[in-house]
Amino acid sequence: MHATLVEPFAVPFMARALTELLLLAGLAGVVSTHVLTRRLGFVADAMTHTVFPGIVLGFLTAGVDGVLPGALAAAAVTAVLLTLLTRSRRVTDDTALAVLLAAMFAVGVVLVSRRASYTADLTSFLFGRLLTVTTGQIAQTAVVAGLVLITLALLHKELLLRAFDPQAAAAMGYRIWLLDLVLNLAVALVVVAAAQSVGTILVIALLVVPAATGRLISDRIAPITLAGVAVAALSGYLGLAISYRASVSHGLRLAGGATVVLTLVAVYLLTLLAGGLARAVQSRRTSDAVA
Amino acid sequence: MRPSRRPIAAFALAATLTAPLTACGDNTTAQPAAADGGKLAVVATTTQVADFARNIGGDKVTVTQILKPNIDPHDYEPTPADITAIGAAKVVVKSGIGLERWLDETISSAGFKGVTVDASTGVKIRQGNGDEEQKDGDPHIWHNPRNAKIMAQNIEKAFAAADPADAAIYQKNLADYSAKLDRLDADIQAKIDKLPPDGRKLVTNHNAFGYYIDRYQLEFVGSIIPSFDTSAELSAKDVDDIVSKIKKTGTKAVFSESSLPPKTAEAIARQAGVKVVAGEDALYGDTLGPQGSAGDTYLKMAEHNTDVLVQALGG
Amino acid sequence: MADPAATPPVVEALHIDHAAIAYDAEPVLTGVTGRVHAGEVVALIGPNGAGKSTLIKAVLGLVPVVGGTVTVLGRTPAAARRDVAYVPQADILDPQFPVSVAQVVLMGRYREVGWLRRPGRDDRRIAAEALAQVGLAERARATFGTLSGGQRQRVLLARAIAQRPRLLLLDEPFNGVDLVSQDALLGALRGLKRQGTAVLISTHDLALAQHVSDHACLLNRRMFGFGPTGATLTPDLLRATYGNQALELHGDQIVVAHH
Repeated sequence: MHATLVEPFAVPFMARALTELLLLAGLAGVVSTHVLTRRLGFVADAMTHTVFPGIVLGFLTAGVDGVLPGALAAAAVTAVLLTLLTRSRRVTDDTALAVLLAAMFAVGVVLVSRRASYTADLTSFLFGRLLTVTTGQIAQTAVVAGLVLITLALLHKELLLRAFDPQAAAAMGYRIWLLDLVLNLAVALVVVAAAQSVGTILVIALLVVPAATGRLISDRIAPITLAGVAVAALSGYLGLAISYRASVSHGLRLAGGATVVLTLVAVYLLTLLAGGLARAVQSRRTSDAVA
Repeated sequence: MRPSRRPIAAFALAATLTAPLTACGDNTTAQPAAADGGKLAVVATTTQVADFARNIGGDKVTVTQILKPNIDPHDYEPTPADITAIGAAKVVVKSGIGLERWLDETISSAGFKGVTVDASTGVKIRQGNGDEEQKDGDPHIWHNPRNAKIMAQNIEKAFAAADPADAAIYQKNLADYSAKLDRLDADIQAKIDKLPPDGRKLVTNHNAFGYYIDRYQLEFVGSIIPSFDTSAELSAKDVDDIVSKIKKTGTKAVFSESSLPPKTAEAIARQAGVKVVAGEDALYGDTLGPQGSAGDTYLKMAEHNTDVLVQALGG
Repeated sequence: MADPAATPPVVEALHIDHAAIAYDAEPVLTGVTGRVHAGEVVALIGPNGAGKSTLIKAVLGLVPVVGGTVTVLGRTPAAARRDVAYVPQADILDPQFPVSVAQVVLMGRYREVGWLRRPGRDDRRIAAEALAQVGLAERARATFGTLSGGQRQRVLLARAIAQRPRLLLLDEPFNGVDLVSQDALLGALRGLKRQGTAVLISTHDLALAQHVSDHACLLNRRMFGFGPTGATLTPDLLRATYGNQALELHGDQIVVAHH
């Protein structure tokens, strides 16, 4: 057990990968709760697609160094456009999203087709490069995490009210669109930050599964958030350990990011199962008592 | 439903159940290539340079090969085993000319303290096709056996420097292998010479054979995938261009590489009414073949490619 | 409450003067005129789609007033928001939302607490008192969604009470509410009335309207009447307001027959 759970992280590149994942667990775990209460799962998923043209444009403009700013810009534009579109009463969330998604993805495809190739640097954004994460990238993630978490903490009660009862929030004078913009931007930042390590394709798992698991355990925001962060951190740790052990001892190729996500889903399913079993035992006990 | 108490138990249960996931296979610790009976720990990136490294190093080295046969070298994501091996190695051999862009990041991540050998040092590089990926030039240098000799020499120099005690052995291995490469070169030249002068036209999956064509003076009519990147697709106009060129120049055969899907090659061959060489008989462009195949060493690969070409063009 | 003898003439809670309210180009509600004073309860009566919610939104400053004026506590609607509280219908809220009854009521204190700060002990005390006023103190720790519809409506009223408003707006608060909760709501509203809070309740339940309010405002895209309930909830005015919908008279109770 020690060989699997502790040894891998004595190696510097594994320790760095773990640090990055733990930071992301804290960040995504908290944002995940907001995604849950505001039902932004579709929005988050859309953003993982709309960053695509940003990545391509960034790469065309400035090579590898342009990928991150390009993704950031695309995510921010998505957040803003989405907020503006849904502000107009006539357009619902889903419609706005579908329109935006199609448009931006099409832009991305047009851009890519103009060149004959897109390289490993682009695909690394789609699939992530967990094991080669640098100290610089970790610092970047830490800054983003700090920024987002502090903002969400300061706006905690207003975001709660808006999520629960937008009519009352508006009646009290809160500008709904402004609160939505802040949250959409927060989600956008998480998408871009996490994309570098686990890839945009898997980011959605980090934004949805932690709070979903927390929701299985509790019906209060604070415990849900704590559980979400814990589950995300645990999955990051276990996923990395498993992928390392599989590769080094068994020659099995288990991509780091994907293994983390699979672990996350496994924890969710086990929690679901355990909850179901516990309920079955409970109702058995109740019916026994009645009988 | 009553909150708090039961769900927390449920969570604890879930957490406990995931623990066994870690139990499997923890009885062995990683075996880095380093301390393996005093052999020099070498990591080689591509199948070709790994083959050269094994030939030069013999049983004085342990070669860990990163890329497996038929894996695209451009888009590779290193595994923990790869990075661990690099961290423990004394020498890393790379093919160079931008083929392994992921290597630099990987090497710094691994905390590698040894020597990196660019096997392409001293090779005369052809111009790339203008793509971002080919900004350093065409990386497929090994298809010219004379370049392979230079690559082997670079590797020998590095081995001798890292392991001076066995320098004499490396020198001898190099001499032996260089002789084989010379023989190979002569063999290929002879086979090609047998082809009619106007029957040396080549259409393949992508421009991986630039150096071979230059060395043996064949004629390149066009490639099916116009750029070096294996993920680019052809437009309808591109296909028409190639088909008309094929018909105009009287090319007899279209070749598909073993690491790429043969469907595109077959489609063009059908339209142009020429022979398709695909699948098992295909050419090895980017990598060597898997163990047991016709191209699992460099020497075998080069002979195989030549035989396939000559047969298709001569027949 | 301030001592009446020492204060200048009390500002009206609400003064609407020939107001026309529109979402886009066309007004959806016109000709609304009336005053509401402290301690008065006004029922907004009219069929579905009459514009009752629209009027409430205009008083909250959420919908533009394109003709005439709407003055709230002597100010524009937007400027008066601090002293105005709104109670929406409870059944539009997600019962799965992970929040407790106490947390919901505490939301009424957010504006007073302000940005960046957290509610303090005083805020919690005020919230607890508000919850007690609707008779649900013992359910404070329960998850909001586990309460019955009527109980949830009472919690939303408690949230509004926690705001300590001078004007209270309720949107169809009695819809689908059981008798126990109905009583609790009426009791709380009477208490607020005594304290001098002005109340505006939109409802299509005439019986309840007569029970709780002393004034009525008849709406159906335009105003058909505004005044004391006795003088306003007459068969003639009601028929005019409801068009051709059947009305039944049971003694002094007037009921609109729903088809």
